[in-house]
Amino acid sequence: MSGGAMESVADAAARATPKRVAGRLRGLSDRAIAWLFISPTIVLLLAINIFPLLWTVYLSFTNYRANQPGREVKWIGTRNYERLLGSEDVWGYMQATAHFLVWTMVLQVIIGLGLALLINRGFRTSGFWTTVILIPMMLSPAVVGTFWTYLYQPQTGIFSYIINTFVEVGALNMIGSVSLAPWAIVIVDTWMWTPYIMLLCLAGLRSIPPYLYEAAEIDRANALQKFWYITLPRILPFLMLAVLFRGIENFKMFDMVVELTSGGPGSTTELASINLKREAFEKWRTGYASAFAVILFVTVFGLASIYVKALNRVRS
Amino acid sequence: MSAPGTGTLQKTKGRGLARWFRRGPWENVASVLIALGIFMLMQPFSEWLYGWSFSVILTGTLGFVIVSHFPE
Amino acid sequence: MSARSTAYSVGESSTWTKWIAAVLVIGYALVAMIPLVWIGMTGFKSPPDSIAYPPKVFFEPTLEGYVNLFTTRSRQTDEYIESLGPPETWYDELVRERNMVITGPSRFADRYKNSIVIGFGSTFLAVFLGTLAAYGFSRFKVPLKDDLLFFILSTRMMPPIAVAIPIFLMYRELGLSDTALGMILLYTAVNLSLAVWLLKGFVDEIPREYEEAAVVDGYTRFQAFYKVVLPQMRSGIAATAIFCLIFAWNEYAFALLLTSGEAQTAPPFIPIIIGEGGLDWPAVAAGTTVFLLPVVIFTVLLRNQLLRGITFGAIRK
Repeated sequence: MSGGAMESVADAAARATPKRVAGRLRGLSDRAIAWLFISPTIVLLLAINIFPLLWTVYLSFTNYRANQPGREVKWIGTRNYERLLGSEDVWGYMQATAHFLVWTMVLQVIIGLGLALLINRGFRTSGFWTTVILIPMMLSPAVVGTFWTYLYQPQTGIFSYIINTFVEVGALNMIGSVSLAPWAIVIVDTWMWTPYIMLLCLAGLRSIPPYLYEAAEIDRANALQKFWYITLPRILPFLMLAVLFRGIENFKMFDMVVELTSGGPGSTTELASINLKREAFEKWRTGYASAFAVILFVTVFGLASIYVKALNRVRS
Repeated sequence: MSAPGTGTLQKTKGRGLARWFRRGPWENVASVLIALGIFMLMQPFSEWLYGWSFSVILTGTLGFVIVSHFPE
Repeated sequence: MSARSTAYSVGESSTWTKWIAAVLVIGYALVAMIPLVWIGMTGFKSPPDSIAYPPKVFFEPTLEGYVNLFTTRSRQTDEYIESLGPPETWYDELVRERNMVITGPSRFADRYKNSIVIGFGSTFLAVFLGTLAAYGFSRFKVPLKDDLLFFILSTRMMPPIAVAIPIFLMYRELGLSDTALGMILLYTAVNLSLAVWLLKGFVDEIPREYEEAAVVDGYTRFQAFYKVVLPQMRSGIAATAIFCLIFAWNEYAFALLLTSGEAQTAPPFIPIIIGEGGLDWPAVAAGTTVFLLPVVIFTVLLRNQLLRGITFGAIRK
């Protein structure tokens, strides 16, 4: 589309015709432009998101196995769902996910909020250090998981070494030990994503108009009261947004943990997504895995609804 | 300040049934249902709760989709 | 985000409390940097140094890790190595000290190139389509607009493994598995949802009056978009593009499940850089460094542009 030629034609047309007619002559109608602009996006999302989604729902009611394409596909109703929701193993994976989810959120909120409050004191060079703190969350989770396996080496790893310089606990087998592995993934996730919580807390802190503190000053409120009655209510929507988003991300956590522990030892760090991958791409129980996927979908979709509601509230 | 306030109050009262189909409170109900379902899915206490968790989440999620189309 | 502009919120905060805050924040930042610095250092260690106890902070730097990363080698007898004559290059020499001979380039460079091609390809498509759609959603009456927008955003949040099952089957049927095109389309779709959402925020901030004035001046609606709106969206488009690029660069789950050879990107490849007898840590560390460095640089240089993307537009500045 050559802009220059079109422009001159349009200019000429605009000059020559009365306004109403000009509107019609100027190429496409608003409606046509709207559809022209939006339809490629919709088509691509339909093809690569919606269609597969519906297919998954269909497969979840069958006994399809992707590694045996010739086999007859039988409709088995809700049996996959019954099997999943009656399985003590799957329940265990959900609990492993819950352990990961709850502890990462608790630690990240405490550390992230603390850091945000400190940074908000506004010392010199705080901008630079904020950037430094943000670096881990921009990195590839899978690669982070890979290099933490090196840091976590029980004999020679630096993690165990540093801990031992403070407390004499002996070689820490963070990845190999049943009691430590769930914490190993919590630590890495906290290292990576505390900056995210910190960031949203900072945004919340900056949204507080200074006159509130000045008014509190006049009322002789102490620091704790100011925090409780002014700071906390104002950052709570931001904090909730951060926790919801990270909650969704950690509920479906896959890449970092699969590289770090790949679900082991035993199934102590077998999170929902990791088990789903095993069922779908190692055991090839496609129908069953699809039902599992639908359960995760619906849960994430529900959380996403709440998230978008919270997001719109914060943005307005 | 008070005059327009009472005005809107009367208006909502007047609409009768429409009062029951407001978005805000129903969205909260659906949100609570979703949260409850997720707790049931991941709690370590009762297998019975686990078994019913997905039904609760599904109800909450579908409910949310529906009630988010109610008027404000 | 400058330090001074934030000082208001605690008007009375004394130099003393500021000092404590600074010490704690800088302390956290330094501790958080240990893993990255350590990995950067490990890339320059020799394999024995990388598994020494106690961990070596001071060591003789060598490029062995990087040589191992980019080459494949085989172990040979002394006689064979001697029969080859003197080593031609410094890396030949380095490898021969370990009784090895370079047999060819490794696949890392290819994987890295795949990451670049797929990353830039999908970013371009996502931003191009996203800009159009964002403008459409922002300026026109679209039926079911809110539902569409919500649906677009929620597709972004879907667990990749769950989406991967049908995509895997679909790509197998279409012959798109393990092709760069397939990965570009997939990452475009994933990034598009966020791009539309973010870019719509940017378009919303541009006053409609500008376009209306342009239309009155005789521009068509399309020209008004092209000549008036687009230039004003430049910074927004750049921010979105950086964010899409980093997502595609970092993505692992889809790459792991849908690519195995030709189109494999670097993230699933780095963990399988294996040397003789277990993981070759300096090579892994070297690969990690080469892979992460661009993102670290981007983050430091373009922090403010990134923030809006990573918070789904919750943070505007």
